[in-house]
Amino acid sequence: MNYDPPTPAERVLRRYRWLRYLVALLLLLIAVYYLVFVNQYVVAYRNNLDHFKYGSIGSEPTNGIPILVFKALAVMYRNELGPTGYRRFGMLYETEQSELPIGMSRRIVTGVERVWLNCSVCHVGTYRINLTDKPTMIYGAPSNNLRLYDLLKFFLKVAADPKFNADNLIAAIDSPAVGGHLNFIKRLIYRYIVFPRVQQALMQLSEQFAFLGSQNQDTSSGLHYGPYFDWGPGRVDTFNPYKAIQFNFPMDAKHITETELNAASNFPSIWEQHPRDGMNLHWDGNNTSVDERDLSAALGAGVTPVSVDIASIKRIRAWIWDLQPPAFPIPSAIDQSKVTRGRQLFAEYCAGCHGMKDATGQYDYDTNRFPGLGQVDALDKIGTDPGRWQSYTQNFAAAQNTLYVGYPWRFTHFHKTAGYANQPLDGIWARSPYLHNGSVPTLRDLLEPAGNRPAKWYRGSDILDTSKVGYRYDGFGSALEDLFVYDTSVPGNSNIGHDGEVYGTKLSPPDKDALVEYMKTL
Amino acid sequence: MTRVTDETFLHEDNAALIFSSLKFRHLEVKNRLFRSNLSGMFDEYNGYGGHTRLNWEEKFARGGVGCIISSYTPVAVRGRILIRYAMIDDDDKIPFWREIAKRVHEYDCRFIMQLSHSGRQQDMGGVENMFKKAQSSTSQKDYFHGILAQAMTVTEIREVVEQFAQGARRAKEAGLDGVELHGANGYLITQFLSSGINDRTDDYGGPVENRARFVLEIVRAIRREVGPDFHLQMKINGVDHNNWLYPWKKKGNTLEDTLTICKMLLDDGKGVDAFHISSGSTFPHPRNPPGDISTQALVRWYGGMLASGVRTRFNYAIFNNPVTGRLFQWLWRWRRGKVIEGINASYAKYLRDEITKIDPSVKFLCTGGFQHAANIAGVIRDGSCDGVSIARPLIANNDLPQILRTANGPIKHKECTYCNKCLVNDLANPLGCYEVSRYDGDTFDEKWKNLITSVMSVFQPPLFR
Repeated sequence: MNYDPPTPAERVLRRYRWLRYLVALLLLLIAVYYLVFVNQYVVAYRNNLDHFKYGSIGSEPTNGIPILVFKALAVMYRNELGPTGYRRFGMLYETEQSELPIGMSRRIVTGVERVWLNCSVCHVGTYRINLTDKPTMIYGAPSNNLRLYDLLKFFLKVAADPKFNADNLIAAIDSPAVGGHLNFIKRLIYRYIVFPRVQQALMQLSEQFAFLGSQNQDTSSGLHYGPYFDWGPGRVDTFNPYKAIQFNFPMDAKHITETELNAASNFPSIWEQHPRDGMNLHWDGNNTSVDERDLSAALGAGVTPVSVDIASIKRIRAWIWDLQPPAFPIPSAIDQSKVTRGRQLFAEYCAGCHGMKDATGQYDYDTNRFPGLGQVDALDKIGTDPGRWQSYTQNFAAAQNTLYVGYPWRFTHFHKTAGYANQPLDGIWARSPYLHNGSVPTLRDLLEPAGNRPAKWYRGSDILDTSKVGYRYDGFGSALEDLFVYDTSVPGNSNIGHDGEVYGTKLSPPDKDALVEYMKTL
Repeated sequence: MTRVTDETFLHEDNAALIFSSLKFRHLEVKNRLFRSNLSGMFDEYNGYGGHTRLNWEEKFARGGVGCIISSYTPVAVRGRILIRYAMIDDDDKIPFWREIAKRVHEYDCRFIMQLSHSGRQQDMGGVENMFKKAQSSTSQKDYFHGILAQAMTVTEIREVVEQFAQGARRAKEAGLDGVELHGANGYLITQFLSSGINDRTDDYGGPVENRARFVLEIVRAIRREVGPDFHLQMKINGVDHNNWLYPWKKKGNTLEDTLTICKMLLDDGKGVDAFHISSGSTFPHPRNPPGDISTQALVRWYGGMLASGVRTRFNYAIFNNPVTGRLFQWLWRWRRGKVIEGINASYAKYLRDEITKIDPSVKFLCTGGFQHAANIAGVIRDGSCDGVSIARPLIANNDLPQILRTANGPIKHKECTYCNKCLVNDLANPLGCYEVSRYDGDTFDEKWKNLITSVMSVFQPPLFR
């Protein structure tokens, strides 16, 4: 006999106790699921500049790699990268101790901290006046250092490398240089979840970039790819990888010409976007909306229509809306005696298409006053290299306009144009090399007829030539193995065009010098 | 009566009406003020009446009410709502009630015993009921506290009917002046009457005539025991408002249902002599006692009920959480509505108008927050009722009848605030007014000391002195 029977209420409560536990467990699981697998965590920056440098725009969920893997790769491939790690690719670390370079942001996705690119990776330039100077950052300027092609090639190489396996990866993560200190459970996670996923993602990237890795060769798939040339520092082929990654366009020689395939162009500056809204943006002027241009560029950095962090991108947009271009760093290097003459010549030859500063010293972006500003000049008129223009096709524009379907920010503005667009030249001293493909190293060279412009030169320096205006291209101050030879005979690299009477290339040398002096003040 | 302007009467007119006698068929009460049923856990655990209850009832008789309706008086131990309430389940309880009658009658105050059975609304059943499910019309648990219930068999129904009849007989033998059936506020009789609760498919469930069968049998059994001349009244809900807490619950009885039941209980003149109109198919209910609810007091004193039901822990968690506690309080106030004093008057008026067309000798009492002469006289004058029953304002001011003779009501800070702290404290502490703001004193400590003195006054004089 039970001398302590439950009361009726206790009996009912006991009967449903398992149900309550189950509900509590379910709620707990839902909470954990939400907090770990759904919710994402980012570092919030109080300061807009810090947000620009390190804030996440949403590239990590789909394309990011765990920070420990990112750091471990630099240890595993020290032979290839050298002791400076990712600095080799022109990535900018603010201090020796910085964990991540400018342009890499972190986001915790499914419980793992991942890193990938943001806007600043391509839009921070540096300059030095003397070889021994510490590089000065120019935020919003085109990157003159980033070797994106080499970085990409590095990841593709890793994907195919038999040394890249779970054992080596975990050993590298646990090495003092990375300091991952993985415990037993984390090691299992890295071995059985993280590593296979990273490897698979890199393999997929390899497939999409097959045209990049196997120039002029038959691959196992039997496809024949046209020659594809290194973009070099400070350049990117904006739309061909875009075609392959976003839309799986066929990139083999049957489907794409050599000219269309080689379309590397300079990174642009991103300051003063407010006056640019409505102008034809991108080198070929294929979009008039700053917002669409921003979102499209974000796709290039690795976001997807699902993972994009709109609020973060809007914050950057607000910051670059009125961001001021930098002033010429050595005012004493401007020969004021020539500036007046230069201003007259600029007004006569250049301002109609590029705008200029008004009497108050403010850059005037008024498209009524400067009818050619922000307009597209037909290719046969401007005459510059056709590669970048050809790479942007009607079909591709149509495909782009399907992006972000279902969102208010769906693309609607992309279109094929007849040539290249005329840009404002604010802060032009910090935007060398010149022309869309960065084929002319200095402003002074740009005022020469095409035949007199340097045909082969060294690209990637950040030592400023304050007289010709542009980064030095004579190889000064760099180790030979670090130099990138820019060869204008390579497809996409031509330095022709923007040449002739109306472009000022027939002016007298003193007049050209005066023009350059004036352009230092823009 | 001097009518000054429309709806405005001199206080003298109001007082004259309130202090005019009320003649039931077989009972005359000296004024129109009834002390509504108020219990307090003052008695012996087993249901024997205690010395403190004598003090308690005498307070109100001394205060000047015309009639006292007793504490909730269980006709059987299975029908108790809280422990330490005096019962009427056996002849050995008669002497106590005889003593009550003697004490109260000294003040020319009448005494009506409220015959009660908790049914499933058994807040603390005590050790006697610990291993039994509560008796009810239904096997559905009480939805507020989750007190488990078992639908009564017909045999059990007959037993309980007989328990009511014997309770009435004992009341009469004790020399009391009448009995009231507690057919309101969610207790056993309501559980049969309410369409929101009664889910029986036999002769005691279904249409309103069937649902009323149980109480009609009780009325007839009582008449059989006490004869036609002993005062018998019925406390009943005007409207059930059974969905106050969970909107998906059935609403329960409408005013029309109640009218049908009242007509049946007249039983061709052989039934009840009066009706006592309340509302709300649970106790407590936002409409009864109408007022506020203190979640602070609930957190302090609801704990004693935790073992009683299967939803008490859930309720406690609701009360104890700052957000849900406030939501509960908001719901309570919202479901009550704006009117407190005279909250049931419109129900009473409708029923009285209809019933007195049939039998003008049947009288009506109305309960619900009354403490101002103008309001009391107003509801009597407009035909809502013949007298009012008062509970909390009399706890606050035992001498309220004397106040009403000369003034419209107590002075401002002595009024009952309808805080319902008395109600919640009753679960653990001596019944009394726990509203600190009403007490004299410049500091909280002084006021609290006076509060304690007032609450403990029920124990004066002590039994042994």
